[in-house]
Amino acid sequence: MADKKKGNAFTNNPLVKAVGTQKIVVLLVIIVLFAFFSIMSSGFRKYPTIVSIFDYSYYISFMAIGVTFCLITGGVDLSIGTGMICYALFGGYLITRQGMPVIVGILGTLLLGLLMGCINGVLVAVLELPPFIATLGTMMVARGFGSIITGGMSVTWPAASSEQGWFRMLFKINKPGLLLPVGFIWVVIFVILMSLFLNKTRPGRYIIAIGSNKEATRLSGVNVVKYQALAYIISGVFAGIAGIAYAAVFSSSIAPGTGAGLELDAIAGAIIGGTSMTGGCGSIFGTLLGVFVMSMLKSGLPYIGLQANWQQIITGLILILAVFIDVIKNRKLA
Amino acid sequence: MKNKMISALLATAMVASMITVPVLASEGETEAAASVDLSNVEAKEAYHFEIVSKGFQHQYWQAVLKGAQEEADRLGVTMNFVGPNSESDIADQVQMLNSAINAKPAAIGLAALSTDACNDALQQAKDAGIPIVGFDSGVPGAPEGSVVANAATDNYAAGELAAEKTYEVLKDRIAAAEGSVRIGVMGQDATSESIVNRGLGFIDKIAELATADGHTVTVEGNDKYVQDSKVEATDDAKVIIDVAVPSQVTAELSATDCQTLLNKEDTICIYGSNQHSGEAMVTGNENLQKLGSGEDQVLGVTFDSGTVIKEAVKNGTLYGAITQAPVAMGAAVIDLLTMAANGEEVGDVDTGCQWYTADNMEDPEIAQNLYD
Repeated sequence: MADKKKGNAFTNNPLVKAVGTQKIVVLLVIIVLFAFFSIMSSGFRKYPTIVSIFDYSYYISFMAIGVTFCLITGGVDLSIGTGMICYALFGGYLITRQGMPVIVGILGTLLLGLLMGCINGVLVAVLELPPFIATLGTMMVARGFGSIITGGMSVTWPAASSEQGWFRMLFKINKPGLLLPVGFIWVVIFVILMSLFLNKTRPGRYIIAIGSNKEATRLSGVNVVKYQALAYIISGVFAGIAGIAYAAVFSSSIAPGTGAGLELDAIAGAIIGGTSMTGGCGSIFGTLLGVFVMSMLKSGLPYIGLQANWQQIITGLILILAVFIDVIKNRKLA
Repeated sequence: MKNKMISALLATAMVASMITVPVLASEGETEAAASVDLSNVEAKEAYHFEIVSKGFQHQYWQAVLKGAQEEADRLGVTMNFVGPNSESDIADQVQMLNSAINAKPAAIGLAALSTDACNDALQQAKDAGIPIVGFDSGVPGAPEGSVVANAATDNYAAGELAAEKTYEVLKDRIAAAEGSVRIGVMGQDATSESIVNRGLGFIDKIAELATADGHTVTVEGNDKYVQDSKVEATDDAKVIIDVAVPSQVTAELSATDCQTLLNKEDTICIYGSNQHSGEAMVTGNENLQKLGSGEDQVLGVTFDSGTVIKEAVKNGTLYGAITQAPVAMGAAVIDLLTMAANGEEVGDVDTGCQWYTADNMEDPEIAQNLYD
């Protein structure tokens, strides 16, 4: 992506060139973190723990895949965190309070995500509101709307043991003697599909172009309104998928009014993975790696006995470091 | 310096709360403190009350509302029961309290989300001559004379009850263990009064019981709990109480905390001090499958109810849980409000709690306090 000029032996390596420096670095960080936590804690290096790291990363991964598109256009989508909870509340409400089949709940969750994505798209692309403000607004709307749907009460999707619990098998298979993080297959499929979409299709390339220079893209005859809106619609739908993953992985009840802050985990994942906040560059695969850095930290730090406040400090420092790398990279290019 | 002062204050408060801890009834309930007689309350007029709750996020609040409504109907008084969207909407709640004061009711019930955000409004209510009855959690820093009574679970005593029930099962296991044993405590946070006291009540009681059996005890993990518990930290203790508090209240982080505890070789028990922690224990256990009542399993004990926790208690994943008595709490609030409006002398009421396991959760007495 970035290292066309000169570079050294490392950056000139064909493999590094193909994958991108930052992604290689992030991958190394993941490996180092994993090795470190495994050496420090015997509990961490167990198979069920590793499966749990995967399990708990799905919903952030899906949100992050979606929001990467908004970031690439130079925007942002803050509504995905509270939105994800809101959509899952709606789906759970249909199932538990209205007695509808799970599949209807799943479709409802996705549809509401799609709807919110469309609203964000209209606000940002058509009405030209600043994405930060527009999605800050819809973030609040989603939070309140979730409470209204359920009458302010929390909702629990059907338990794995119940008849309706089959949807949990979409993300994790957990039978005596068989524990598989199948949700990761979905994550990989979507990463591949959305990577191809972003890099190999016309709409994807337009989304990147809008992030590099919206005016130039418009002048070259591209319908920028349409493709900018598309980025937010993608983000909304993926927040819907995240809502389903969340409901499937966690047995906990979903409480209205929560979810604020989860969008930042997803955005941080995308940034660590090499997507630029200023737009025009980014990769879905990088985003997945970035999310795993966050997940590794969140799961690993408690195992080495680090208390809550230190966990936040370390996660914050890693984010700053990642953005710093991005800044240096841009400076070199300029 | 500031920390020391705070811990000194807390220690004093704790000693004070110890003195008022009610005697435990044999069947596993803390009995309502008998300082105020709520048995024959009558309303002198058809009063109207404003009640500001913490919202309706948890079914728990529906049960409080039910108890309050029934008692209001019985006494012939009316009420307007409101609450914010979520338990983090502190500013909304203050706004609701202000509206309640402006409505000039005979008295106001308040379950404060923040112990100090309401102080200005409370002063106003006091100036307007409207008595306030706190419920669910107290308002320790309230202007003097504004809050005339509190109806709440004595959370410290509730934590102690959990510890006693847990220790009955653990006693022999601790004695038989060759090395150290670890008892995990999961707290949603280290700031809210109810969560912290439930944790400290449990920690102190376990330590007391284990020490009485001749074991050494230490507390490690979250600084706040380590500092405020009555246990002196020691090396090489037989019983290690390990307190985990997540950096944010999310299902993911609390489930990870639970797994961290489950993965330690010497863990024999985990206690979660509210619904959030209890549900995180169920999630965290799913992949590890270590919770249960068997000799080689980790005993899970928690607080509150809800579909997930009830199911886990029923199928044996969790050994038991403490439930508060929200229906009784709702009724007590109305009683206290009525007495205050009558101009009668009122005081704090412990609305009690109950211990339930798979064996007794169907009893009507307990079932009415278990919500989905």
